[in-house]
Amino acid sequence: MTDRRLTMAVPKGALFGDSLKILRAAGIEVGALADPGRQLIIDTDDIRFIIGKPTDIPAYVAYGAADVAIAGADVLAEAALDVVELADLGFGGCRFVVAERDDAAEAVEETYRRLGVIRVATKYPRIAEAHFAARGIQVEVVKLHGNIELAPLIGLADRIVDITATGTTLRENRLRIVEEVMESSARFVANPVSVRIDAARVMDLADRLQQAARLV
Amino acid sequence: MRPVTPRGFRDVLFEEAAERRAVTCSISDVFLRYGFRFVETPALEEYATLEAAAGSSLEGTAFRMVDLDGSLLALRPEMTLPIARLAAARLGDAPGPYRLCYAGDVYREHASLRGESRQFAQLGVELLGANGPSSDAEIVCALVDALTAAGLADFTVGVGTVAVLRALIEAAGAGEDWSRALLAAAHARNLVELDRLARDAAVAPAVGEALRRVVRIGGGREAIAACRAATEAVGCAGSLDSLEAAWELVEAAGASERVRVDFGILRSFDYYTGLIVEAYAPGLGLPLGGGGRYDDVLAAFGKPMPAAGFALSLERVMIALAAQGVEVPVRGLDAVVGGESIAVARECARLRAAGWRVLASPDAMRGELAAIASAAGAATWLVAGDGAATSSADGTPVSLASPPAQSGSFSKGGCCD
Repeated sequence: MTDRRLTMAVPKGALFGDSLKILRAAGIEVGALADPGRQLIIDTDDIRFIIGKPTDIPAYVAYGAADVAIAGADVLAEAALDVVELADLGFGGCRFVVAERDDAAEAVEETYRRLGVIRVATKYPRIAEAHFAARGIQVEVVKLHGNIELAPLIGLADRIVDITATGTTLRENRLRIVEEVMESSARFVANPVSVRIDAARVMDLADRLQQAARLV
Repeated sequence: MRPVTPRGFRDVLFEEAAERRAVTCSISDVFLRYGFRFVETPALEEYATLEAAAGSSLEGTAFRMVDLDGSLLALRPEMTLPIARLAAARLGDAPGPYRLCYAGDVYREHASLRGESRQFAQLGVELLGANGPSSDAEIVCALVDALTAAGLADFTVGVGTVAVLRALIEAAGAGEDWSRALLAAAHARNLVELDRLARDAAVAPAVGEALRRVVRIGGGREAIAACRAATEAVGCAGSLDSLEAAWELVEAAGASERVRVDFGILRSFDYYTGLIVEAYAPGLGLPLGGGGRYDDVLAAFGKPMPAAGFALSLERVMIALAAQGVEVPVRGLDAVVGGESIAVARECARLRAAGWRVLASPDAMRGELAAIASAAGAATWLVAGDGAATSSADGTPVSLASPPAQSGSFSKGGCCD
């Protein structure tokens, strides 16, 4: 089995730069991944890198198209697929929060009291639903694909569930954080079968990345 | 109307059906060689019966329907619970051991768009009324033999135990909430969360360290030694004795080459009580099957009895065979028999009685038979005459004793091929 290259999915976008950095810090040869151009598959001697949309990476891993991957805890929770979380890589930190218009606290309370349900806009319906279900609050979830902070401003939703790193975007749109949902950071994950039958290589990568995470 | 199957259900046609039958028979034959006996259970069970043993894990997986009297029914989502129910209800009071096996379809509900099948075939064994290393080893060896008999060139059987983690959780003494959170993290295979919980202030540091280490230990016999070293200091090494003894038996049986000890196999801790097994094929992102020891399940049916077993997914075994380029030997038609219709009827009857697979082609003439045989996938064609059927090539009478050789070798399973 060791004659096979290990396949690693790496998220494009916000986590890409730090992923590259931590792979290098862990002493992993990244080859052309440093400057992939339009390539989506990059082979080195040991690893085949796949560059994917962050939200697609849990599926790559769960179905075995990638043996291992770097993925945000947020997209992992939203996908709720069967993958093994091996290491917290520390970077890409953000918080999931519930927010509402900074002048709307009373109005939202009133809506909930009278209708028994509030409307929540989010990119992460599963996380949002689980959060409110755990608190016994009835919500109607509206799934959006971007500019979530717009939803309360245009009357589409009473509240939003979204990720924030610093809270600046929320403040600029006159939104106020109501409560925390969860914290997220980049994780090193593996396919449940790959971690068993390629244990030596997968666990070695996990160890090296974990150590690199402490240094970076 | 457009005739279609419901989402997640499908028809299985000729070649595929033949190959599935052949693999089912090869694996079934291994079960029989271990003295397991086939049983069949109904596709439907009382929902309450399944729920009594499986608890809330049934939610969202079982197809449910309502009986005329209003009671809730479920299509069986797996075979172990129906067999445990059968054992409790039908096997009387003798303590066993009972060796039961099955090949049957199970049904599971899936959210739309997951694209997964909702009906699939499982092959498995249950060894009831016996515990200890020798019955654990029997389960492991039967799994190895079953996958070998299926024709898989490359596979691994992972073997672990829930006893170690359970002992460590006990030793941690960090309360019920913590224990539940740790089991949930283990079940979700979330080592990041498990590490975090192991560093909890309420946990003795030595136990926390042992927890973090053991879930990362895997390998051959040396892995058991490594786990012993990691757990000795906190007084949990005794939880390994049973696995170590079973490993020795697996080794003695010559099956250990395919087996890998792995303390990172973390599955259904609410269900398994000792041994856990999982089978993997490289490149297939999902296990071929799995199982373990579930000594508490039969108590839910009022008949406490130790039990262990495994189930293989036929679909996944077939995918792995295809991925490994394994050709499943399937025997097709032996011959097409042409000639005058009375003679064809007589000769076909004789050949079939002798075990041939023949297609009658009455009134087809010598010149047409080659094309008919080729279209039907038959190995040869024969002409029925006054005496015996004669071979296509040289006109000599065929010997009833031996159907003509076909490409590939037949499985010698006996139950079917």
